[in-house]
Order: sequence, then C-alpha cells, then structure tokens
Amino acid sequence: MSVHVHTGADPARLQSTLRKLAIAWTGFEARLETAPLIRKLNRGQLTLADYQAFLINLRQQVVEGACWISRAASNISEDYFELRSTLIGHAATEHRDYHLLEQDFVAAGGAIEDIRTARKNVGSEALSAWMYHQAGRPDPFHLLGAMWIIEGLGAQKASDWGGSVLRQLDLPQEAARFLLYHGENDGDHMEEFQSMLAMTPLDEALEARIVRCAEVTGRLYALQLEEIELA
Amino acid sequence: MSVLRPVYITGTGAVLPGDPVGVDAMEDYLGRVGGRASALGRRALRWNGIETRHYALTPDGTPTHTNAGMCADAVRGAAEAAGEPLSRLNHLAAATTQGDLLVPGHAAQVHAALACGPLEIASFQSVCGSALMAAKSAWQAVRTGEAGTAAACAGEHASRWFRPHFFEGTALIDAKGRLAMEAEYLRWTLSDGAGAIWLSPKPAQGAVSLRVDWIDIVSLADRFDPCMWAGATEADRHDLTQAWPFLGPQAAFSAGAVALQQDFTLLKTIIRAWIGVYLEKVDAGRIDPAAIDHLLLHYSARSLREEIVRLLTDTGAMIDEARWFNPLARTGNIGSASIWVMLDALLRERPPEPGQTVLAVVPESGRGLVGFMHMTAVDQNGETS
Repeated sequence: MSVHVHTGADPARLQSTLRKLAIAWTGFEARLETAPLIRKLNRGQLTLADYQAFLINLRQQVVEGACWISRAASNISEDYFELRSTLIGHAATEHRDYHLLEQDFVAAGGAIEDIRTARKNVGSEALSAWMYHQAGRPDPFHLLGAMWIIEGLGAQKASDWGGSVLRQLDLPQEAARFLLYHGENDGDHMEEFQSMLAMTPLDEALEARIVRCAEVTGRLYALQLEEIELA
Repeated sequence: MSVLRPVYITGTGAVLPGDPVGVDAMEDYLGRVGGRASALGRRALRWNGIETRHYALTPDGTPTHTNAGMCADAVRGAAEAAGEPLSRLNHLAAATTQGDLLVPGHAAQVHAALACGPLEIASFQSVCGSALMAAKSAWQAVRTGEAGTAAACAGEHASRWFRPHFFEGTALIDAKGRLAMEAEYLRWTLSDGAGAIWLSPKPAQGAVSLRVDWIDIVSLADRFDPCMWAGATEADRHDLTQAWPFLGPQAAFSAGAVALQQDFTLLKTIIRAWIGVYLEKVDAGRIDPAAIDHLLLHYSARSLREEIVRLLTDTGAMIDEARWFNPLARTGNIGSASIWVMLDALLRERPPEPGQTVLAVVPESGRGLVGFMHMTAVDQNGETS
C-alpha cells in the first residue's frame, strides 16, 4: 500500500470547506460573545475570582487536548502517514500547555491544589466526551473541524482576552501567559490548517463531517464557558 | 392580485460641500482640542487611507450646510439626473447617523427642505447601514405599487460633532490633555456630504438604469455591545439605564457620554462577523463572486484589507480587485452617504454596461450590521443586452 502524499486537494473543494468553516467560526464567535464570562470580560467587569474560575475551568479541558489529538493520530491509517505525523507533532507541542494555566492561576493568587483538583464543568465533560469519541473513530479526519475552532481561539481571541484581563485586574504578565502565549504562537494558524486539510482525502462527504465537527465542538466549547460560575 | 414590479435607479445625486480639505487643513476646520494638535491624527489617517474630505462648516465652525439641506440637494440632483420633476415623488426615505434635531425625524427635515408638496416619508437612523434601510423602504414602496416614484437619501454632518466643545471639559480628555482614542479616531475618519437615488418602475429613456434586484440587511446586534455609539460612556454603553437621558444632559456631557466613539477591539470581532455573513451569502449562492462586475464596498480601514483579502481568497469568495470601485480616499468616509456617493461616482466614471452587475456592500460597526444591494444594469427597455 502506498503512502498518501500531499498532492493538494481540489482547490474549489478546499475553498468551499474553508468557507463553511469560516461560517461555523462566526457562529461560534457569536456564542462566545454572549457567554456571561466573556460579556463581563468585554464590558470591563471581570473580577479576580472570575478570572480564577476561568483558568480552573479551562485547565480541566486543556489537560485533555494533547490526549485526544494523540488518540486521533493513533487512529490515522498508514495511508495518511503525513497527517498522522503532523498530529503527533501537534500533541507534543501542546501536551504541557496546562502547566502554563496552573502557573497563571498561582500568579493570579490561586492555590495550586485548587486548580489541580477541580472537576470538569458540564460543558467540559461534554466537550471531552465528544472529542475522545470522535478521535477513537477510524481515520478521524473530521477532527480538523475541532482543531479549526480550538486553534481559532488561540489565533483570534486569546491575546485580546489576555491583554484585557491584565488591564482590568492590574495583574502582571505572568498571570496570563497561557492566553498571551497562544495569541502570539498561533499566528500562522490558517496556513498550517490548510496544509493539514490538503493531506486528507477531502471530498463532499468529508467536508460535511469536518464542518459538522466544527459546529458541535464550537457549541460544546461555548457551553463550557457558559457553565463557569461567576462571582 | 397585485404583482411586484421591477424597480430601477434612474438617477443618483451626490453633495460634497465646499472644497476638498487636505490632511494639513483638517484641524483648521475641526478645531484643536484643548488648543493642541492631535498626536493620534496621522496614525488614524494611515489606517483609514483618506486623503481629502469635505466639511459643511467654515474653519470658525459656522455651518455652510445642514444635514437635511445636503440631503435635499442630493435628492434634487437625483431627480434631475432621472429627468423627473420633484412633484412626481410619492415616497421619500431618509437616512442618517445623527440628524439636525433630536426630534422630529430626518425625513421630515429633508421634506421640509425640498418643499415639494405632501408625500409619504420614512426616517431611518442607524449608522452607515441606514442608507440601505432607507433604500429598502423606497424600493419596496415602488416594487409593490404603493408609490409611483420614490427617493432614498442619506446624509451626514459629522464634522459638527468633532469640534472641540464636544470634548473639552469632559472625561474623554486625560490628565495630560489628550483626547481618548475612541473619540479621536472618528474625528480623523468621518466627514460631511449626502447622496440620493431616484427609484422608478420604468427604466430611464436613452440611458442605462440600474435594476435593483434585491436588498438584504443582516443585524448582528443580538451578540454585540455597541461598537460605534453616542449617548453613553464606554463603560456603561451596554446599560441603557445609564444612557444620557437618565444622566441628564450636563452630567452626560461631563462624563463623555455625548460624543461619538468607536471600540477598536470589538471592531475586529465585528469585521469577522461581517465576513461570516458575506460568506454565508456566497455559500448559499445568493452572491456569486465571479458574476459581480462592479463592487462598491464601503470600507475605510485600508490596513485591515489585506487580512480580509486573504481570507476571501482562501474561501473562494474574493471579487477580483480590478472590479472594486472606491472613491472614498478623495470624497472622505461620509457614513451613511458613502454608498450613494460611491454609486454616483461609479455611474459617471465607470458606467456599467447593460447586463453588468453591481454589488453594494455596507458594513456598519454600530452594533454589528451588514447590508447588500444587488443591481443589474439595463437599457431603456429594461433589457440586459
């Protein structure tokens, strides 16, 4: 069996998939904007307790991130070795990210055991269950839709959120490194994503699965934020 | 059973008051807040790319025109271009961001200035998108046969809100005497003028008309706080119980709640949302980017264009840049009036041929809105070839 080499998918299909994903993103962003925690952040009303709750709740999902990407990678067949290898690389870069969140939490005045022992909220439970389930399916190319949403957060929202948190709460840089770091490092998100998309056997059916995965992931991610209890 | 009629733009009018004002003379007209030259102005101009604009006041602040007066002149210009007398007008829809008075509505003031006999009026107050709200009203009036002839106009007298007395003595000035960026940027971006379209159920004789195919307006205010606003402080703009009428005019003024302001962080998110709406139109087949011959995109933030162009290209939604037409660098960004000033300039400088399509796109940052107007050029028989 030959290894699938990145030959470039049909440009029109690639454009159509990206278009539908961009539409899914704006739907997701609309949900984010109306989540109570984000409303408070946008309105300059965030409290330190809100920010700590934000970090605690994020951490329980971020800790799983590299794990579901790894699981997805392990279910990519040999024909798509290039994509598998890219996903493994991704998981490796991200698998310590939750440490940053823990350090931010401590720098923001929290106690380490509080963030380590907290349970997932209902939204995080749903998001995690969804991710692992999808990652466990054979050749889970559609999880690129989930990555589009989660990495889009890094590229489009994280640094603005981080800057806004620091200004509102008068905290040092060290208290928002997770948000600021993602804003800085996810810059070429679009290019990287397009190259991954081109590694898949993209057709109409896969496009529909990728877009649906983005929609569901976005909804569950927003649910996770909606479930954060505010001070 | 009544039948919907085709509706044609048979004339346009544009009013740009006075002479073009270059960058160096802007503060002579707007005045210097606290007697100091603005430090942020040049930066704003680099961002919006505007070279010249027009102001409906003299350097000492004396008005040369009113908003309603400019709109009336634009309607007269559109009637003249259409070769029809004002007496044929049955429906006048008028748009603006801020009219000459708080009450009554803008259309009443424009009608008064036109002095053309009784007719139906409709006032639309929003930001840039109000132009298309008025156009939709006028278009529907003719389309349904409710009106024989209609006009839609839009005007702004933005400069009067940018004079120093709107800022001095308010919380918008910091301890070092600098005006808040939220207010300063708009001073360097918006200017004055008006535009109008004349709508008829019959195409113009001996000339090309634009058939109005459809107008879609999508508000996204369900998810965003105000992004461009006047009447509240930045901190309290989401809470209408803290708006200026409750504070009282003097306290509201001191708090900086009267001046026009813009939230730049939110604007970035709203720009993505505008693009999302456009992409939905493309995805649904409502807009075919390859079939648009002339694109009028009311967009002023030139530096953000690269990011937009890239996303549009990647998603197969880009309209070839050679088909864009945008005279705003010389006319100025005139808020709601921009789209008609652009259309008027297109008809004079790059007239569409029968069969060609024109798409006007009007994003409004106000509380997040984007409107589209699709037109097809036709000959005097209403034919496309």
